[in-house]
Amino acid sequence: MQGNEACVEGALYVGCKFFAGYPITPATEITERMAWRMHEMGGVSIQLEDEIASIAAIIGASWTGTKAMTATSGPGFSLMQENLGYACMTETPIVIVNVQRGGPSTGQPTKASQGDVMQTRWGSHGDYETIVLAPNSVQEMFDLTIEAFNLSEKYRVPTIVLSDADIGHMRGKFTVSEDIKFIDRKYCTKHVEHNAFICDEGLVPEFPKFGQGHRVHITGLTHDVSGYPKTTDPEIHAKLVSRLVKKIRNHSNEISRTEILNPKADTILVTYGSPSNSVFEVLSENHNIGLFRLITLWPFPETEMKQIAKTAKHILVLEMNLGQIYWEVERIARQAGCQKVELFSKIGGEIHKPDEIIKRLKNEVL
Amino acid sequence: MKFFDLYRKDRWPHMFCPGCGIGTAMNCFFRAFAESRLNQDKTVFVSGIGCSGRIPSYILADSLHTTHGRPIAFAGGIKLANPELKVVVFTGDGDLGAIGGNHFINGCRRNIDLTVICINNYIYGMTGGQVSTTTPFGYYTSTTPYGNKEYPFDLSEVAVAAGANYVTRWTTYHVKSLTKSIKKALVKDGFSFVEIVSQCPTQFGRRNDMISARQVFEWLKKNSVLHKKAHTLVEDHLDLNLMGKITVGEFVERNREAYTKVIGVRK
Amino acid sequence: MVTVINSDYCKGCNLCVVTCPVKVYKEGDKPSSRGYFVPKIVNVEKCMDYKRKKGEKKKCELCVLVCPDQAISWSNE
Repeated sequence: MQGNEACVEGALYVGCKFFAGYPITPATEITERMAWRMHEMGGVSIQLEDEIASIAAIIGASWTGTKAMTATSGPGFSLMQENLGYACMTETPIVIVNVQRGGPSTGQPTKASQGDVMQTRWGSHGDYETIVLAPNSVQEMFDLTIEAFNLSEKYRVPTIVLSDADIGHMRGKFTVSEDIKFIDRKYCTKHVEHNAFICDEGLVPEFPKFGQGHRVHITGLTHDVSGYPKTTDPEIHAKLVSRLVKKIRNHSNEISRTEILNPKADTILVTYGSPSNSVFEVLSENHNIGLFRLITLWPFPETEMKQIAKTAKHILVLEMNLGQIYWEVERIARQAGCQKVELFSKIGGEIHKPDEIIKRLKNEVL
Repeated sequence: MKFFDLYRKDRWPHMFCPGCGIGTAMNCFFRAFAESRLNQDKTVFVSGIGCSGRIPSYILADSLHTTHGRPIAFAGGIKLANPELKVVVFTGDGDLGAIGGNHFINGCRRNIDLTVICINNYIYGMTGGQVSTTTPFGYYTSTTPYGNKEYPFDLSEVAVAAGANYVTRWTTYHVKSLTKSIKKALVKDGFSFVEIVSQCPTQFGRRNDMISARQVFEWLKKNSVLHKKAHTLVEDHLDLNLMGKITVGEFVERNREAYTKVIGVRK
Repeated sequence: MVTVINSDYCKGCNLCVVTCPVKVYKEGDKPSSRGYFVPKIVNVEKCMDYKRKKGEKKKCELCVLVCPDQAISWSNE
């Protein structure tokens, strides 16, 4: 099965009942497979007029208490940015799959890239936090799609599965583990007309589903706990936006996931997504090299990174862009005491080959 | 049902300018809604950005105030995910005719069961009176200081051509007919479109020698002509809309099956 | 049944003056507490007598429908 198809199966497995999409290479297989598989599962899958409408429709669907998803690639993801911010502001759980391709603009439709890493984090205007997961195999396309739904439901935040053309079109098999957990958002049990956005220390308010008589007003404007627009009060805005950011940052240790091998090695390769497959090959022959693979890109696993950087002498970041996650790694590693943090970037659509990585390490290390 | 059973009394008086036609549209909508005996707890009100976008924040029901131009897309998602809900969209001429034009024509074509109420005041009111896609030819706005040199959109005719199930247009002067039409639109299956031509004395009137709400209101009254009679009145210019006048009435009534029924959404 | 204008809601647009078929309302000359010129009700008996159709004792309610600020209502005094 293809990575994109595994992603569909993951979504359906976790109970996604609404999909809206627009064809775009290399994410089209998701929209195609959804069209027939969703029908079998008794949900709705629809192809809309553009990506803006797609993300709008899934936000609408999510407010009726339905798990909803859309899938796209770079150009479509750029179009979605405004409504991504809207979903953050209104705390709507949605899942967006971004199968990255070469950019900017139309770029390389059929080639892989990791150029959208910062866009998932800073693409929409204003301060906000999202959760971003980076799968590196067909198995993880399945697993992380499920994980994305769970996290978005738990924290009421849009969650992005940041795949790329290589993972999306990679063929392989996946196994369905028996201990997969499903998390559903907490629904309001009481009538919340004027208290739709009241929450406890967890910072995530309960969800007032539409059609239950809650009579809530949901707006993208700055709002107070009642949901009514209060756009001119600086305190209300500061309180709301800091809560939206804190509800993710305060839980970043629970959310973040990494894969670490040989943590005490002098040389650590930092990677995520498709280049990590080459790194595994390098590691199988060079046991003195360590691996730090990011499964959660945002919130960035800062604690784990610090731990690694304390003992590492050389950190090499492999990315299929001209340096995006590198700056985050460099900032944290330097603080923790590792001064040699370097970037090995490769763009154009091909992943770093194992011998290229070894050559690069030899030039620098040996 | 009393007026404040449907509206949020704690938010009154509302934010709209003195003489704004949105208040009138809300009255007519309330009458129609009360008479059609719909359940407000099973109705969702969706709106975009602009003056018209603020209407749902006054309605005592589940309401979603969305991004600029996209309410029809959001509403479609709600309706498809839960077909038991009645979905009403409030939008304006800038929201629907300009930034949301694509969603509008495709919404009409797709025929999802929505009631779309567009308050067309010929101008961008909330941002301070800029030209809109429906501003009549030659009229003044803050971005057309030498008069508008573009011909306007006729939203209702666009909806007819795009395949909406029910299309009607009235001005805020025609309150009785408007109420009747909204009622019809609310119970109609499929995509129904109600265009309400409304006065904006603050932005549109002020720049076009109609200083008071009264003057714009009377201008609407003077310039509107029944759609049925319009064909004999066609003038060779398109300054107000395709007919050169504000044609009012019911434009089309079709019985195409609603999208939700065609695909057989289960819940 | 008497017509009442709620001066807390009225913004003095005078659309009721234009709309009323029997000229019940007249433009106001004194500002309300909110600074708007609320119209005066001058010919309330005309409204009482006005019938929309012959034999039908229903108010036309055009003013109630047109009033953009929901200020006009009926009271049973």
